[in-house]
Amino acid sequence: MISASNLSVRLSDKPVLHSVSLEARAGELTAIVGPNGSGKTTTLKALAGETTYSGTVRINGHDIAALKPWELALKRAVLPQSTIISFPFTVREIVRMGLSISGGVGTAQTDRITQEALDAVDLAGFAGRFYQELSGGEQQRVQMARVLCQIWEPIKNGEPSFLLLDEPVSSLDIRHQLTIMRLARDFCKRGGGVIAIMHDLNLTAMFADRMIMLKAGQIRASGTPREVMTDDIMESVFGCCMRVNIVPHGSIPFVLPHTAVH
Amino acid sequence: MSGDRSRLARLLIAALIVITATMFCASIVTGAADASLSNVMRGILGLDDMEQVLSVRDRIIILDIRLPRAVLGLLVGASLAVSGVVMQGLFRNPLADPGLVGVSSGASLGAVLMIVLGSSVFGPLFAVFGFYTLPVAAFLGGLGTTLLLYRIATRSGQTSVATMLLAGIALGALAGAVTGVLIFIADDKQLRDLTFWGLGSLAGANWTKVMAAGPIILFSLAVVPFLARGLNALTLGEAAAFHMGIPVQRLKNIAIVSVAAATGASVAVSGGIGFVGIVVPHVLRLLIGPDHRYLLPASALLGGTLLIFADMIARTIVPPAELPIGIITAFAGAPFFLWILLRGRTQMGL
Repeated sequence: MISASNLSVRLSDKPVLHSVSLEARAGELTAIVGPNGSGKTTTLKALAGETTYSGTVRINGHDIAALKPWELALKRAVLPQSTIISFPFTVREIVRMGLSISGGVGTAQTDRITQEALDAVDLAGFAGRFYQELSGGEQQRVQMARVLCQIWEPIKNGEPSFLLLDEPVSSLDIRHQLTIMRLARDFCKRGGGVIAIMHDLNLTAMFADRMIMLKAGQIRASGTPREVMTDDIMESVFGCCMRVNIVPHGSIPFVLPHTAVH
Repeated sequence: MSGDRSRLARLLIAALIVITATMFCASIVTGAADASLSNVMRGILGLDDMEQVLSVRDRIIILDIRLPRAVLGLLVGASLAVSGVVMQGLFRNPLADPGLVGVSSGASLGAVLMIVLGSSVFGPLFAVFGFYTLPVAAFLGGLGTTLLLYRIATRSGQTSVATMLLAGIALGALAGAVTGVLIFIADDKQLRDLTFWGLGSLAGANWTKVMAAGPIILFSLAVVPFLARGLNALTLGEAAAFHMGIPVQRLKNIAIVSVAAATGASVAVSGGIGFVGIVVPHVLRLLIGPDHRYLLPASALLGGTLLIFADMIARTIVPPAELPIGIITAFAGAPFFLWILLRGRTQMGL
């Protein structure tokens, strides 16, 4: 479990997060949603141990402030929003970097895991391509494959591992959005945990076990998508009056922008 | 599996080892005085009595002039190329180079200070450091510039690469201006020393210079392989490198001190030799890719070989005079660099 209590972050003296407390359990996909500038990425950065924060973040009970970078890297991997690389790496070389942290993995196993990670993100024939020559969506999936390689086992030494994903489907077509979300859900089913920043509310409702809604650096609502996605909460968080519906013969809420009224 | 260039890289490194050894031997037997390779080798290895196979004059030329010169060329070339690789990895920019971000200018300032004011103001320093004074001064100049740059470019623990590049240009200009003042007050003999030193040359290489710069350069060359994995991760960005388990700030500190040390030592003994630090890593990246585990040793070898080769040209093209080696590396390097830029624009992400 990743838990944060009283997390506050100031960026250049401006408060961005105000004592946010949250829990992301293993076996669950926790989605963080909210309007632009609500502090989603800052929350994820604090959970990753990347920014200075006040409060406490624990991963499986360990205070992350007390963990070395290489110890943290074995417990969680982070997918950034986009990655620009100015050196001519091949796709395979990038993905393999994710494996270098665990070390001591034989060549045959490195090759196998690299290939399986590429297959998982639907980039099977891309190993020899140059990263810089790929489209934005393809690059995003290469990074996802690298992140998967870093945390290849959802449960390691009896502890669950975590994936922190910052808008993992932002550049993807609809088919690959589903590929990546299924991949994340599968990782949870196998015992790991996922925290993902999302913008597509319908995709979130389909895949997330829990949703956390942020606004102006504070948590406004959290719970199952069914609990969180209501007309009232949508309006108070996004400032946009919309009608939330339920998929026929199911319990998954969805919302269409067509219902918005001003 | 496609996209794996590690086998190719290992083959290239093996080939470079052979080429470097060959070039090294060739440079020892090339020059005005002729001496056959087998005789020299047998003499150096102690298989034959030196005095029997070589004349006294040849022995001095080979052991005291050409051999230290080849060793120094190898060390300086390796140091320049490796410093380039580390700088480029650190800045995540294939155009970064100690020459570009002001490290070389700072090192030059340190060295020029010693050449001009060494006998008067800094006399006591010479008494303490002996022949290490010039490399130490250059190292301190390089380190001082780098740390200053770092302070300017770092805010709340994050080093901005763009700020550092721009500040480097400013600091380089400032160091250049101070150097200019020193040149202005230098006397005629110092002026001549400065000019030839500034053009970059391995002339005047001797065992003292090798002993002065060698340990510093070798130490840096021994440290940087440990940075390879971190530099690879750093190409994805500082945050991503941290996520992958790299202690980023420590990596940057070690990299900066190593580059300042290697650049300082090289500048002190050979002046400004340009383009090795940019061209060598570029060529190798096109051949074997940017994986630093292979790029660092390959650059050291190719840098060393190229410098020895350039030095052979420098001392044989206009005998009995010698051309400063910096002129040759610039003549060969600059057009080559432009050619690479035009050819590989997309691959380098420019």
